[in-house]
Amino acid sequence: MPGPLVLLDRMIMVYGDPAAYLVVWVTIVRILEGVVICMLIGTALGLLMGLERNIEAFFDSWIMVLLTFPAICWAFLSVLWFGLSDIGPILTIVLIVFPFVTMNIWEGTKAVEKDLVDMATVYKASRSLIIRKVLIPQLMPFIFSALRIALSLSWKIALVGEAFGVGTGVGQQLIYWFEDTRVDMMLAWGVSFMILMVAIDLLVFRVWEKRTFAWRHKIAS
Amino acid sequence: MSTRARGICLRVGSIVVMLIIWWAAAILMADVEVLPGPVLIAKTIWTNLWSLGPEGKSPYFHMGVTLGRTFIAFAAAMLAGIGIGLTMGLRKLFEHSLMALIPLLLTMPTILMVFLAVLWFGFNEVGSLVAVVGVVTPFVAVNMFEGAKAMDKSLIDMAKSFKADNRMLIRKVYVPQLLPYIFSAFRFGFGMTWKIVALAETFGIKFGIGYMFFFWFEQFIMEQVLAWIIMFVILMLALEHGVFARLESKAFAWRPSHSL
Amino acid sequence: MNIQTESVAAANTVVAVNNLTKKFNLPMNGGEFVVLDSISLNVNEGQFAAIVGPSGCGKSTLLNIIAGIETHESHEGGSVEVFHKSAEAGSTPRIGYVFQNARLLNWLTVEGNIQFALESQQFPRERWREQVTKYLEMVGLEGQEKNFPLNLSGGMQQRVAIARALAIEPDILLMDEPFSHLDEITARKMRFDLMEILMRAKPTILFVTHDLGEAVFLSDEIYMMSAKPARIFKEISVDVPRPRKPEDPVIFDLEKELVREFFSVLDAQD
Repeated sequence: MPGPLVLLDRMIMVYGDPAAYLVVWVTIVRILEGVVICMLIGTALGLLMGLERNIEAFFDSWIMVLLTFPAICWAFLSVLWFGLSDIGPILTIVLIVFPFVTMNIWEGTKAVEKDLVDMATVYKASRSLIIRKVLIPQLMPFIFSALRIALSLSWKIALVGEAFGVGTGVGQQLIYWFEDTRVDMMLAWGVSFMILMVAIDLLVFRVWEKRTFAWRHKIAS
Repeated sequence: MSTRARGICLRVGSIVVMLIIWWAAAILMADVEVLPGPVLIAKTIWTNLWSLGPEGKSPYFHMGVTLGRTFIAFAAAMLAGIGIGLTMGLRKLFEHSLMALIPLLLTMPTILMVFLAVLWFGFNEVGSLVAVVGVVTPFVAVNMFEGAKAMDKSLIDMAKSFKADNRMLIRKVYVPQLLPYIFSAFRFGFGMTWKIVALAETFGIKFGIGYMFFFWFEQFIMEQVLAWIIMFVILMLALEHGVFARLESKAFAWRPSHSL
Repeated sequence: MNIQTESVAAANTVVAVNNLTKKFNLPMNGGEFVVLDSISLNVNEGQFAAIVGPSGCGKSTLLNIIAGIETHESHEGGSVEVFHKSAEAGSTPRIGYVFQNARLLNWLTVEGNIQFALESQQFPRERWREQVTKYLEMVGLEGQEKNFPLNLSGGMQQRVAIARALAIEPDILLMDEPFSHLDEITARKMRFDLMEILMRAKPTILFVTHDLGEAVFLSDEIYMMSAKPARIFKEISVDVPRPRKPEDPVIFDLEKELVREFFSVLDAQD
């Protein structure tokens, strides 16, 4: 087990080489692409499932099945189907993570206040207006937490996806050093990437949360 | 048609649709190397189940190995997690000292944890056990910690004012309040454990379902890879939903009983 | 159930309820539960009609049927007609509704909430600003356009709800115990202000309440409803000119009479 000083030294060594930044960048791009696709599919599906009981009954078994798949299975299948390409990690991310987003958003639709939907119906608001102005604002906290979950799951899955022969990315570095039994280098890459992800989570989400939910802060009457 | 019957029809229907889409895609691809159809996979699974596989080990052997590792590792992780979580909830000292470590463990990607466990403890049962414990225990601990924190102090005070002894307190006041947390940790923890064991096996721990995944993947034999994946999924679904769902008295239903 | 959409030249009836009967199916033993039993009432243009009765007797269900949002699977008889006074053929009557809770969209400003109703009713955009300003002023909330609902007191939120309902210039304004969740002092002020709005804007209102005093103070026509099954057992006119004073003895006497009527009916039922 390398001590913290050794670890620090290796990290400096790694990031001293400009090639490292490209490696990290490649991984980040894959993660972002995966997260965006997940959020789009997951939010749309979660919303549909919340609105239409039949859709919910139809898709929930698909979701249930998808949730049992280990990431490694998709990683293998992607390689068999697409060879060594970007699609592997991204597909793996999407297939593993979008069910979580769907569940979250779907939970959100359950929490929507029926009173407000009734009010909008009495005033004869169109379905699109109800979705835009009554449902989505109430879903924002759920969309937000779904995004956070999606991100935190996706980056870990990206590493699994990359480890299986994409040829680039942080995950590939991990497996390379693993096979070389170099724990110090493996941890240098692994821990530094962890720190980066945590930093992004803290910086982006904390700040964003404060801004979006300003209307919630009541002045004490 | 009653709502319940309609629900069942739709669910069965959706599985049928899944199979049809698969079948159609397989025909379109027209390449068994890429996408074998459901019929072929069903045959492969059937053959597998009735014969000895590579190295003379039947699928039951592999499934048994994986299940065995899973149960033992899961039991260890749950016990450790419950123990640690409760201690953290009840003793401030533990809470403060462990609270720094747990987020670190929770953030660590599974693959890294598996790599470390296997490098330090070997490509064997111990390695996979450690990997599972490393990932699942913090998760269970956090769950139980929240459960301990959420316990209604007024109920505890009430029981004490009636001079209830410790055994009664534990059985009738503590445990019922903690039960939902234990169940939810159980549900999620088991799923996590399964996948970690499979992952560890892929990296060269001998035998087990994950080992078979990799075996066939290396040889690019798609039917077997898919066959084993399907077997794994079905087994896992049967366990998680057939067995555990029934065990659970508090419904963690992610299906609701009403809609907009 | 019919909602008429032709404009009515002759009678100035806005809402005509004719022998409306509503039953809920009991899921358990397959029987039926009669919620409304042969309800008949008429509301004319510019009139303030009140339905008074004990809580839970089906008054809200009646309003929901008129508003078109009663969704329970059940059996209905009789008819409900809402007439549209504008000349445009084929358009639906405009219905405003003030609920017990303000039911504002807390993430929209006060102005945004009113605009939501205007947009739903397909009011031309050019007129939005003018409607918002006019009706906020009418409910005593001028200048509050950019404020958020959660910054307002309960009474003020309800005023916004009233402004929202008035802004669409409804054919009928339905009000379901709108002041019952407010403290008495605020409620009294709101009743007074509602009376002034009546004198200025002359909306047609169907008001539901369990408060007899409130009904007498505000209404032109009072329909008295008994409970389980809900039935209208008496109709009383209030001919006191506006502005009315709560301490007016005529009003007080009417209230006493209502109380007497209710007690005799309730006694007979027991």
